[in-house]
Amino acid sequence: MKNLSIIAVCIGAVAIAACSDVKRTPGTIYMPDMAYSRAVETYSDHRELQAEGINYTARPVVGTVSRGEDVIYKMLADTTGGYLKSDQLHNPLAPLDSATAVEAERLYLINCGICHGPKLDGNGPLYKGGDGPYPVKPATLVGDAKYEAMAEGTMFYSITYGRNMMGSYASQVSPKQRWMIIHYIKSKQNAGKATAGTAAAPTDSTAAKK
Amino acid sequence: MQALCSQKKNPDVDILSISCHIFATESPHFNITNRHFQLMSHYRSITKQLVISILLLTVVCFDQQIFAQDGKALFQQNCASCHAVNKDLTGPALAGVEERVTDKKLLHAWIRNNQAVLATGNKYFTDLYTKYNKTPMNVFPNLTDGEIDAILGYINIQAKAATAGPGAEGGKVAAKETATDNSLLFGILTLILAIIVLTLLQVNANLKKLSDEKEGIPSYEPVPFWRNKAYIALFAVVLFVVGGYYTIQGAIGLGRSKDYQPEQPIYYSHKVHAGVNQVNCLYCHGGAQDGKHANIPSLNICMNCHMAINEYSEKSEKLYREDGTEVNGTNEIKKLYSYTGWDPAQKKYANEPKPIEWVKIHNLPDHVFFSHAQHVKAGKVACQTCHGEVQNMGEVYQFSDLSMGWCVNCHRETKVQFTQNNFYSIYEKFHNDLKNGTLDSVTVEKIGGTECQKCHY
Repeated sequence: MKNLSIIAVCIGAVAIAACSDVKRTPGTIYMPDMAYSRAVETYSDHRELQAEGINYTARPVVGTVSRGEDVIYKMLADTTGGYLKSDQLHNPLAPLDSATAVEAERLYLINCGICHGPKLDGNGPLYKGGDGPYPVKPATLVGDAKYEAMAEGTMFYSITYGRNMMGSYASQVSPKQRWMIIHYIKSKQNAGKATAGTAAAPTDSTAAKK
Repeated sequence: MQALCSQKKNPDVDILSISCHIFATESPHFNITNRHFQLMSHYRSITKQLVISILLLTVVCFDQQIFAQDGKALFQQNCASCHAVNKDLTGPALAGVEERVTDKKLLHAWIRNNQAVLATGNKYFTDLYTKYNKTPMNVFPNLTDGEIDAILGYINIQAKAATAGPGAEGGKVAAKETATDNSLLFGILTLILAIIVLTLLQVNANLKKLSDEKEGIPSYEPVPFWRNKAYIALFAVVLFVVGGYYTIQGAIGLGRSKDYQPEQPIYYSHKVHAGVNQVNCLYCHGGAQDGKHANIPSLNICMNCHMAINEYSEKSEKLYREDGTEVNGTNEIKKLYSYTGWDPAQKKYANEPKPIEWVKIHNLPDHVFFSHAQHVKAGKVACQTCHGEVQNMGEVYQFSDLSMGWCVNCHRETKVQFTQNNFYSIYEKFHNDLKNGTLDSVTVEKIGGTECQKCHY
């Protein structure tokens, strides 16, 4: 009998030790109808609503424009023509002052810097000179004549609808923020051009070697 | 260096051999020495040839190195924004391009000005153009033949490295951490010690009984331990303390799901995204600065990167679930494609998308108001303060217990960032007090952060 109890205690100890401490269930809730909202909230399951006779659609009604959105950009949403015409758009925002410049830089670093690089050299942490997971070289925003000559409206189009491997950022940055970011990029490009006189010399000498 | 040496040597050798000949003609008596000199000059010419050939070899080798490096730079500068060597992107994968287009002149012409080649109606390129949605390739009129060859050379090297790669890199095995849990060891030790104590007590009792019998003291039938009052009292106290502790802990924990770590429909590792690849929290959860909810990113945000990143590199650190099973990252990305309806072969959304049903971890009851924007934007609180080191979590768990005591405690201790923060500009008195030095800091409590109706209304 004593041996039996010793064995039981041993097995019990092993069983408790073997129990995983990973908590896969949220645990017991005291008053679940208070903890889990009865109201239809963000991210609640809306599949049952239609069956309950509540008219609900997850997508905006076709043709609606959200408040503060400029209608003209909606019209550019087609595939080919819009991109070519987009250079006619002009940045409606006033040039950045010191406060908005900080905010624009913050927005750039969050949303763009990951690929285009904190220095706008097209070498963000995702590309890392070809060693990162991202297989495509992101556009070199400062130092590439193509992007330095690019119209602000075209940049706006690319951010809004995506271009080549770049996706649309319309859901992440508002139109105003997009224009702020474009201001920021342009200001960096102009700053880059100002210092280009000194930087051009070494690149020329390497070109001459070839 | 070698070039310099040989250049210096060459005239020496010539002068020597010339002087030898002069010497030989002038004094025929020294025949042996003459022959000796001739032999020497013969060796010299051999060494000269050797030096030159070695020099040539090194130059050729070095040249190839330059060639490869240049190819990489040129490739990244001109091609990499649309092409990868081993993967179809905006444009086709370039591995084996020279086998597909054997005519070198045509290939060069295509790279320089693809529109001109298309105008000639070349079938291969016209088909390719239509296959890639008629996305026009940039023209590169300034690339020289040498530069194009350097790029093609780089592509060949990369393509070879990729085919040889998996075998060579497969040997890398990530050492999985074997968690040494000491509690089990301590438990077993305690158990052994307890058994020893019990046996010793038993031995002691038996010995006492024996000695009592020897001395003639009558021994009573011992009371079994389950009827021994001391044992019962001890057991009751222990049960009360241990049971009471767990009951209270359980009651406090009701409705708090600290450490809740559900299995998600896709193994999404925050460690890979926010940690290794340094994606900002607000890139995906941008709603945290604008509203009550830190939004769960919609599928298009995933696809911003995963349109191009369609595999989890074998070179990266291996992924494990909490129970120790290994995760195939590439399969998890494929799961994402199945939700978004993206067809990586066709490079377009071919199927109807359906939402990913992520399991919500952090849940606040209905009767408490919480706004992310207020904390992130006005309060400038870092995400990690409440959510823990998410950038190190493979699977996210609830870091804080999100209890009211926890909220209030933080509101009592946290100092409001008053400087450079327009949000708090209306608190004139506090600003003045801070300037006068009567206050050294303002806590959240001082601006009403512990008022009931701030959060419960």
